[in-house]
Amino acid sequence: MSVKPVELAGEPAEPVSGALLELSGVTKYFGGLAAVQDVDLVIKPKEIVSVIGPNGAGKTTVFNLITGIYRPTSGDVRLDGRSLLGLNPDQVVKRGITRTFQNIRLFNNMTVMENVLVGQHTQLKANLFGLLFHTPAVVHEEADARQRAVELLSFFGPELVARQEEYVVNLSYAEKRRVEIARALGAKPALLLLDEPTAGMNEVETLEAVKYVRRLRDELNLTILLIEHKLAVTMGISDRIAVLDYGRKIAEGLPEEVRSNEKVIEAYLGKSATATASQNEASTSDQKAIE
Amino acid sequence: MSTLMTNRMLLPARDTRALLVKWIVALLVPVAVFTFVWSGEEIVNAVISPGTAGPNLPTDPVSLIQSAIFIALFYLAVIVLAGYLVAADSGRRGMLSLWLDVLIFALLPLFLVMNIGLIIGLAACVVIWAVYFFARNFVRKARHYTPPLALPSLGLLDAEQRAILMGRAIAGGFWFATAFAIVWLIADLVYFFTGSLPPQLLIWVVIRTLLLPVAGYFLGRLAGVLALRRTLSAHANGNGNGGDATNESTRRISKRQQLQVLSATRVREEAKDLVPNDLPLRSSGAQRFYLILLVAFVLFYPILDPFLFGFGTDGRLASFGDAGRYVILALGLNIVVGFAGLLDLGYVAFFAIGCYVWGMIGSTQLTNVLNVAPIDPHILSWLFWPMLLGAALVAAFFGVILGAPTLRLRGDYLAIVTLGFGEIVPIVLLELDKYTNGTNGIVGVQSPAFFGIDWSIITPAPYYYLILALIALSIFANIRLRDSRLGRAWIAIREDEIAAASSGVNLVNTKLFAFGAGAFFSGVAGAYYAAKLGGASPDNFSFNDSVIYLAMVVIGGIGSIPGVIVGALVVYSINELILAQLDTLASDPTNFMFFVRSAIVHVIPGFTFGNIRNLLFGIVLVVIMIFRPEGLIPSARRRRELRASTEEAPEMGSLDVMPGTPGFETEVRVE
Repeated sequence: MSVKPVELAGEPAEPVSGALLELSGVTKYFGGLAAVQDVDLVIKPKEIVSVIGPNGAGKTTVFNLITGIYRPTSGDVRLDGRSLLGLNPDQVVKRGITRTFQNIRLFNNMTVMENVLVGQHTQLKANLFGLLFHTPAVVHEEADARQRAVELLSFFGPELVARQEEYVVNLSYAEKRRVEIARALGAKPALLLLDEPTAGMNEVETLEAVKYVRRLRDELNLTILLIEHKLAVTMGISDRIAVLDYGRKIAEGLPEEVRSNEKVIEAYLGKSATATASQNEASTSDQKAIE
Repeated sequence: MSTLMTNRMLLPARDTRALLVKWIVALLVPVAVFTFVWSGEEIVNAVISPGTAGPNLPTDPVSLIQSAIFIALFYLAVIVLAGYLVAADSGRRGMLSLWLDVLIFALLPLFLVMNIGLIIGLAACVVIWAVYFFARNFVRKARHYTPPLALPSLGLLDAEQRAILMGRAIAGGFWFATAFAIVWLIADLVYFFTGSLPPQLLIWVVIRTLLLPVAGYFLGRLAGVLALRRTLSAHANGNGNGGDATNESTRRISKRQQLQVLSATRVREEAKDLVPNDLPLRSSGAQRFYLILLVAFVLFYPILDPFLFGFGTDGRLASFGDAGRYVILALGLNIVVGFAGLLDLGYVAFFAIGCYVWGMIGSTQLTNVLNVAPIDPHILSWLFWPMLLGAALVAAFFGVILGAPTLRLRGDYLAIVTLGFGEIVPIVLLELDKYTNGTNGIVGVQSPAFFGIDWSIITPAPYYYLILALIALSIFANIRLRDSRLGRAWIAIREDEIAAASSGVNLVNTKLFAFGAGAFFSGVAGAYYAAKLGGASPDNFSFNDSVIYLAMVVIGGIGSIPGVIVGALVVYSINELILAQLDTLASDPTNFMFFVRSAIVHVIPGFTFGNIRNLLFGIVLVVIMIFRPEGLIPSARRRRELRASTEEAPEMGSLDVMPGTPGFETEVRVE
């Protein structure tokens, strides 16, 4: 069975195990170093799941393993019960997983519109003959793609729509993040991976970001897996949280459970820290994890 | 809305008059020089009264019709341009600076080209223009002058103001045509009384003098329509407060806001397209006219060639036909290097392949090798057309073959592999002497055949039109590819492979397609070259050629289609026309170069320009790259990139980590 596109994802999906994405025993060695070791993770449709952990814990590596940029040394990644192993990044996109990057990877020398259009690459079907001779189907498709890009941009308000012909390099940091998400939405994903969507944002922008991450789930029926450093953000929006440390999953559960988990506190604050201290720590807004 | 407009816009008649004087003088002077000093009058007379034309002019009817079309197109386009410019001008720029610009950029080239030849003349212009820009900047700095920002003239026009623009356009067209008719009448009367104008042409003089103002009026209207299409219009004016009007005004405000949040440079870019305008000569409306004039010139060039350079060996048609294949090669390489960002140092290989495909098939070579009866040459000639496509497809196939092993590589490593391919192909062609005739190459390759056209070597016109058609097709294909989902994918790969792959771009197919498409155009150029040369030899494909092609793309502007066309022509002219000609020029005692050489020979005995040709070429390239690192006509993307690269700090990403640390692995691998 195939992944439902965004519009259709509202209908009940029927994955075999009830899971949209399933990681089982995923391990990745770089030389002799285990970047990710034996990680299991199950994400159900319409969930927002966060992966947290100190720097170097292997969070981004997990993303790269899911999206096909790296291949797991062992273990399996399944989407809707079908393995993603051995697929190239573009094939993973076609299966319905798109992502954003920790350090924004937009195409800086392309306009906002062009960036979002590249995101729709898998949705466009124009062949060589069509695009050379502008057959009606291709003209229509291109117009639709532009229309859709405007719709995706307007998800984040009218500002980006007004600036669609600008080169992305002129945008603010928060706007670039939005364009990157719009680009990721272009492929009509079922699962969206957000790698630190609020990194480098101020408080106001962070609140905005939290709002639209929720709206992505509620309005577009997306399932979202995100990496986040700001604990307040994570606690606020996640249905579940998984904690990585040294490449291993040390805890998983509801935000409250994770917050009071001793292993987590230890990983974040070191052995000497007490549970009470960590609770205060976690509730402070915009507290970044120990670097 | 009209409060946004300065009073300057609502021009009283006096201001319109000032504009008229400004533009009529600016345009009339170059047109008059072309008509009376150079070949214009001669061409017109050749058309109107063939018997009275000069001795070395064509008299056959086809040439005359072509000249007539060209000359009509030329004058009509200039008249419309006059109307457009009068309407499009905001009037903020002074007359004198405009006239100075016209002097430097229109008159000077005319005089230099007339006196010292087209290529050398244009080269001299480039030097003078550079000096002029430098001097102007120097003077401006000294006077603390900054050119006014274009935004203030960005007004919204209501119906009344649009009517004023229209009036100005009509006045511009009419008065320019009238002034030109009067000047021409006076000149002809002078010619008549001095006896150099035959009396039978007087009827034409009268008709023309009456006709031009009428044509000017209607062409001015046309200019007005064209100008108004580029205005920022306010359909509802102040008193219309209906729902329609509010809707309208929000749209307008968003446009204005949009412009204001943009950077100053971008504002200027945007404002360039709107009417009224501070720099009407550079507006995209005016650029369309230059394009019309350029296309007309290129299209009718074979008929103009004798007027400009004389007949026979003096003509330049053949060498321009040669330059054309470089344009196609540069356009093809631009896909690989400019769009997809894959550095290809072996591009000449595909040219060689295309060349040999038609070389083998278009001569008796292939039939000899296969031991079958040779094909009738008349039929063989016709095979050129399908084989043009065939050669391109074979080259594209080899492009994909080369692409396959390079997919894992990038940058320097990729360049080395392509370099190897570029070396292998000519050697293979050389060593396969059983099939390719080895060092001797293939001779007796058929030229193309077409109904009623003589393709012999002394008539370069068919080859000129053939290459022109091929260039047109290449440009068309390039533009369509660039603006398609494929072109976007190429540029995305160039920008960031990982992000492109994560957006769903298939790196393997997309890169292979870039190699294939680039090689395709190379194959077209190769087949054309074999047909024009009548042979194919392995000596024609050296590493030097690959480097020259790359230089064309880089100098023209990586990724910019007009840029690489200009780059190809410039590099070709410098390398093959100017530098190759220096010794010939220096052997003519009347020429300036003669004295230059004699002076050097005093110091260095036995000096010839041929000895230092490559040195000069290198110096020119270095100088161009120092002053225009982004290329002669950079793409907007590239210009922005170079401007911004100083402002952006390099980013370290999770995938750009040092070797040996966790997370290190080769970047996106493709299997």
